[in-house]
Amino acid sequence: MSKVLELKKGTEDGVRDVLKFLLESGKVKCIFSLKRISGNGSAIAYSLITKPEEIDDTVPLFPLMPVNAANLLSQFTFKGPSPEPVAAVVKPCELRAFVELVKRQKGYLDNILIISPTCGGVYPNTMVADPNGDEKAEVDLDKLQAKYWDSIKQYEIPGEIRPTCSSCEQFIPYNADITVDFIGNGNLGQECRLYLNTTKAEEFVQGVDGSILNNEQDIRTDEINNYQKKREEFKNNRYNELELDDIGLEGLVNLFGKCIGCRGCRAVCPICYCQLCTFDSQNSNYKPSTWENDLKRKGGVRVPPNTVYYHILRLTHIGISCVGCGACEDVCPVNIPISSIFKKMGEAIQDKFDYVSGKNPEEEVPLKIFELEELTEVED
Amino acid sequence: MSNTIEDQEPEFRPKILAFLCNWCSYAGADLAGVSRLQMPADFRNIRVMCSGRVNPLFLMKAYLSGADGVLVAGCHPGDCHYATGNYKARRRFALAKQVLESLGLDSDRIMLSWISASEGPRYAEVNTEFVKKISKLGANSTKTEMFL
Amino acid sequence: MNNENEGIKTEDISSIEDDSQPATTTTSPAPSSENGKGAIIQLEEGKSIDDTLISLLKTGLDKGSFDAVLMPVKVPAGDSFTYLLIRDRSVLDTIPASPLPPIMSVQGAKAISSLTRIENGDLTIAAVMRSCETRAAIELSKLRQANLENMVLISIDCPGAIPLSEFIAVPEKSAEVFQKARSDRDDSVMRPICRVCNKSSMIAGDLHIGTLGAETGSFFIIPNSVKGQEVLDGLNLDAQESISGWHLNANEISEEKQKKRIDANKELKETVGGIDNLTDAFSQCINCHNCMRVCPLCYCQQCYFDSDRMKHPPEDYLQRAESKDSLRFPPDTILFHIGRMMHMTLYCVSCGACEDACPMSIPVSQIYGMVAQDTQELFGYVPGKDPQELRPLATFIETELGEVEE
Repeated sequence: MSKVLELKKGTEDGVRDVLKFLLESGKVKCIFSLKRISGNGSAIAYSLITKPEEIDDTVPLFPLMPVNAANLLSQFTFKGPSPEPVAAVVKPCELRAFVELVKRQKGYLDNILIISPTCGGVYPNTMVADPNGDEKAEVDLDKLQAKYWDSIKQYEIPGEIRPTCSSCEQFIPYNADITVDFIGNGNLGQECRLYLNTTKAEEFVQGVDGSILNNEQDIRTDEINNYQKKREEFKNNRYNELELDDIGLEGLVNLFGKCIGCRGCRAVCPICYCQLCTFDSQNSNYKPSTWENDLKRKGGVRVPPNTVYYHILRLTHIGISCVGCGACEDVCPVNIPISSIFKKMGEAIQDKFDYVSGKNPEEEVPLKIFELEELTEVED
Repeated sequence: MSNTIEDQEPEFRPKILAFLCNWCSYAGADLAGVSRLQMPADFRNIRVMCSGRVNPLFLMKAYLSGADGVLVAGCHPGDCHYATGNYKARRRFALAKQVLESLGLDSDRIMLSWISASEGPRYAEVNTEFVKKISKLGANSTKTEMFL
Repeated sequence: MNNENEGIKTEDISSIEDDSQPATTTTSPAPSSENGKGAIIQLEEGKSIDDTLISLLKTGLDKGSFDAVLMPVKVPAGDSFTYLLIRDRSVLDTIPASPLPPIMSVQGAKAISSLTRIENGDLTIAAVMRSCETRAAIELSKLRQANLENMVLISIDCPGAIPLSEFIAVPEKSAEVFQKARSDRDDSVMRPICRVCNKSSMIAGDLHIGTLGAETGSFFIIPNSVKGQEVLDGLNLDAQESISGWHLNANEISEEKQKKRIDANKELKETVGGIDNLTDAFSQCINCHNCMRVCPLCYCQQCYFDSDRMKHPPEDYLQRAESKDSLRFPPDTILFHIGRMMHMTLYCVSCGACEDACPMSIPVSQIYGMVAQDTQELFGYVPGKDPQELRPLATFIETELGEVEE
């Protein structure tokens, strides 16, 4: 249950108003948000903004995730917590991923006011980079957003968003100071409702041109619960389509056969934080005797090696914290449905340890802790 | 002697990698040997200082490189020479097993056992039973897969 | 020595090379294409060039001319191609191999490097790949990232390659389109970088398969080294035929492409030249660094631009944000690209792997290729042409480049 701040403006305009207010009042030094950047008309990127007039060009709720913001918040606070208050508008999975990074000392939440919408999903990057296979075409971003909003208003899953977004049941942000009422808000164009989840949030918005409603409200309603079921249904259908229930070795060889080893999935994954991955290190520099032996036994070996191994091992490393954001699948040059695979397996791993990645910043990553008695089913 | 290896020798001899912790399991294996206990000779033992040293990477790589079975053995919970190594090993092992299971790979090919330094017969039992189990599963298909 | 650096800069390697160590291909070029001699191979009954070539490779394995073959094959799912190192000739009977696949999924030089980065192997390997991949492999051997002593590099006249994303979308149709374009000598369906490649028939390795200018139903095999000649001898192939037909045709095409290339680069310079245009060109770059990782010449295990040197305290970022209207995050996109160019432009073989891997469809290889044309011209350097030739930054002439001195 939270206090709700209502602004008599469209939702995105309202958020922009709040961001401007935070800068003008000096309550924050800097805003972190998606912004239309000059250049190719369809270019949108995250930006650090210190000047209130620049807020006009921000598109904080635009359905795009060029980069998972957790990577960026981590880079921003890598060497230490932000020395000044900063407000960041991020999607729920980006926030969860950042929490997972914070647990691993790869970033700090201190001094960051988090604003996050209930998330309707994002479009693949190709939607703006290579629409209909034509990289020279420019996309009408306003039209795209309008189409998207039409679905969101009616609790519909927009077509053409990332499949992993359509499968996501965790679209209500955990740990946000302010939650933007987005999904199911029939008045997105005229009304902005902001749930103030923390006292910090209430303090920061004091002075905003809007009104706090009399009653506290719960963002989770029956309609939201039904909507979640829609997402769950999509998820299960997708898993079935991809036959992920019993992949097996042959299935893995087929799924990852076209992998070109670009490691893009690793680079964009917020949870993959290693500065030198084992697959780039001396661990993966093989002496000829290694592949010569393999060659003798099999008659033929795929080169470069470790195609399937890389994916299985990456899953082992990050599955416990996978937030199902879909950045991996988006960046893959050969369209392997990586996110769906990792999300499914990640869920199974997290279930095993009764863990939900990114939900509770106080909860340790399961591999860092242990119980004196547990998991007897794996002992023999 | 009806229990000799020669009598029961199956056609397929599995290749099993066994990570044994220095202080307990490896000593237990030694004791089994010194006591002349009969066991199949399919284990390739690797001594590590603690079961907690075993990186899930080893299990995955061994599996994909064609090992028919991989065993991780350490001190009983509560008895770890480094106090908490085996608790961590247990979690990492559970994780690795879950990954294999979720991907439909033979998660039965990896096993975790607690064997103390004085448990020679237990080591022999684990050895024999695991070899039997793996022999039933047959050769790991990754041995012949060219496109890994 | 700068100990703070994460990776080894090429300049550091050059200081190790002070005694002018050449690349590890120890064979000197012998009967080269300029002597105009090679072998003429008749296509086997009803078979294509590709199939005849595969037969030859099988014979080579049987006769022990080489112990293994490294070449592209179709993956089990049939939706792409990858390199397979083949020792057992029966593999070539069961797996569909393709000396010239419609795409360049993995840069062949990277495949070679993954095998011999640490040291030479015992097996002799015949590696069949496109000429740009062969040249990249030779450059890598100069950089100590591959050992070519036991490699027989076989290149082949290249019609170009289909864009990876197009192929992945419709693999079967694309394969057909490619084959037709190949036989029609039509490069309009190939990647932009291929359409202006003037080195598609460049001989750099040990043997070259010449399909241009050959009589119908045949192709040339041209030796370019003692190693190459030995393989032909072992296969009982008489390499005394004139290859002037191939030579003429290849030169003609090369000159034509060179003209195209100069024009295309001139046009590109207008479009992306200058800081504003360049920033625009990379405005959608998401800094995934795919281009760097698939590039054969970017061999650093940890890229400078991924290292700690590029991670700054939040105060720095805030200060930068304040000094501008806003700071795009992550920052330093153009720095990454210009920096990467600084590091590898002299060795860029314009293979196009970078553009194929870019998820935002940025014309990376065309931009890098445009810069590479100028920088390589400055030093008169052609990467991969001569294994004995030192890299420009590894050497110097006492009096040169007066134009940059002041």
